[in-house]
Amino acid sequence: MIRFLWLIRRELWEYRAAWILPAVIGGLLVLAASFGHVDVDIAGARPGPDALGGALLFGFGIVFLFVMLAYSSWYLLDCLNADRRDRSILFWKSLPIGDAQTVIAKLATGLIAIPLIYFAAADVTTLAIAFIVSLRARAWIGNAMWHPGQWLQLQALWLYLIATLAIWLLPVAGWLLLVSASVRRATVLWSLLPPLAAVWVERVLLGTNWVGRILAIRLVDGYPATAFHDLSGSLLGAFGFPGASRAAAPASVWALLAPLRFVAAPATWAGAAVGAVLIGVAIRVRVRNVDP
Amino acid sequence: MPPVIEARDLTKRYGAVLAVDRVCFSVEPGRIVGLIGPNGAGKTSILRALLGLTRYEGTVRVLGRDPWRERAGLMREASFIPDAAVLPGWLRIDRAVDFVAAVHPRFRRDRTRAMLAKTQIPLHRRVRELSKGMRTQVHLALAMGIDAKLLVLDEPTLGLDLLARRAFYDALVEDFMDESRTIVLTTHQVEEVENLLTDVLFVDRGRIVLDGSVESLATRYAALSVDPARLAEARALGPFYERRSLGKILLYYEGADRAALAALGELHAPDVADLFVAKLSGGAP
Repeated sequence: MIRFLWLIRRELWEYRAAWILPAVIGGLLVLAASFGHVDVDIAGARPGPDALGGALLFGFGIVFLFVMLAYSSWYLLDCLNADRRDRSILFWKSLPIGDAQTVIAKLATGLIAIPLIYFAAADVTTLAIAFIVSLRARAWIGNAMWHPGQWLQLQALWLYLIATLAIWLLPVAGWLLLVSASVRRATVLWSLLPPLAAVWVERVLLGTNWVGRILAIRLVDGYPATAFHDLSGSLLGAFGFPGASRAAAPASVWALLAPLRFVAAPATWAGAAVGAVLIGVAIRVRVRNVDP
Repeated sequence: MPPVIEARDLTKRYGAVLAVDRVCFSVEPGRIVGLIGPNGAGKTSILRALLGLTRYEGTVRVLGRDPWRERAGLMREASFIPDAAVLPGWLRIDRAVDFVAAVHPRFRRDRTRAMLAKTQIPLHRRVRELSKGMRTQVHLALAMGIDAKLLVLDEPTLGLDLLARRAFYDALVEDFMDESRTIVLTTHQVEEVENLLTDVLFVDRGRIVLDGSVESLATRYAALSVDPARLAEARALGPFYERRSLGKILLYYEGADRAALAALGELHAPDVADLFVAKLSGGAP
């Protein structure tokens, strides 16, 4: 286990942007909070301090989440390719580390380690911003961001997102690793072209759109529909976001999480199975990956 | 003791190209074997097959294991330095040591540290900031820290200057070699390693053209600096190679009658470099 953590550590030495990027984003947001000025006027109503605090927490979380998803995808697409480009694969393969272990460590880095780093960065950032905003706007926001309940909800939401996304995105991660191990260069192009070609061929030959629909479910609307109860608007409502359907808003984030539905959903495990197959193929390719 | 390496009918194809053609050899413990041949002879393919880095046909056993099926296990007891500088540029030297120490059960950090201390290499630097010679020193220090039974080197001094090459081989003999260990190395600069080697394997176009201990070469092969008046007689004794150098005519023989040769001129034992040239340009193996 300690050995495995060293393999992940190695990845973070190589991909320093994994922690530099969230640190920079956090720093910029803190700077903005320190010196910036925002006129809050959403949906014509000046929101109360509670709503503003919740909105800030939530908004920052979203920024970190989307940058994290983009960076992790890039990481998974590059991690089995970089050491072939610079030939250092010969060094890594001269160590007693099995190829399966290598690939699994890289998978865990992309799906768990990097998301956790972003989570930590988002936490530190919101803590710092809450403190700064409280100082600057004492008059009316008070300690609004310091609803301990809201803070705890955000922690739970992050951990829930990381855990469920790691499973939901397994087929995507497996595909990216497979492309990374298989092609010599232009990994981004190779990761996009085959799925797009499949959609196009299906449309031309059969006139249907099953592949496109499956991809859209996996990448866009399937996840929130599976892992959350009625996400549209209500999550914003849970954080007191003005304009969100307050009527439908549940009392807290807890009511939104749908872990049982996620675990019971066939789409979850069908995806995981496809992911496992793709990862297995990526390992087999990696085993043969020395000849330049 | 069983041989460290046993290869039977080792064959490697790249598509239609036959890089290694039914090669057979074995290596005993305690030997330093030079795999010598021109570029493209198949040396690297043989080494990679031995280390489980590439697929092959035939039977190969290294330290009792099937390298292709058990690469990770094999690498616990063997270490490998491919041609200079495959350490990744982003890796810091001290972290490289930490990492190998963490993943390698037979790594002795103090040995590597001691070797690095003898150099000018700053440990907090990244590999990309080092000169080529320094990178090779780092890689050698890492490999030396591994308590390996077999060390495999593939053109380890390629691109290094004379001083760095000499330092590399000195360190190899002084800090690594003892009777329980084995080294297999490839090179095309024969002169540099010939005093080091106990055995040679000449490889040409995917086949082994000469295989033997360095001592046995002196009795198997002879070079005759022939008296020009008796050239015809000398040729009649069946040399496999002939060359002219500084006005002398040199003839090379395998398993010839020494007494008969001695009568025709000056007889001496050919060195490895001479034999290499003679064997590889001299026609039939």
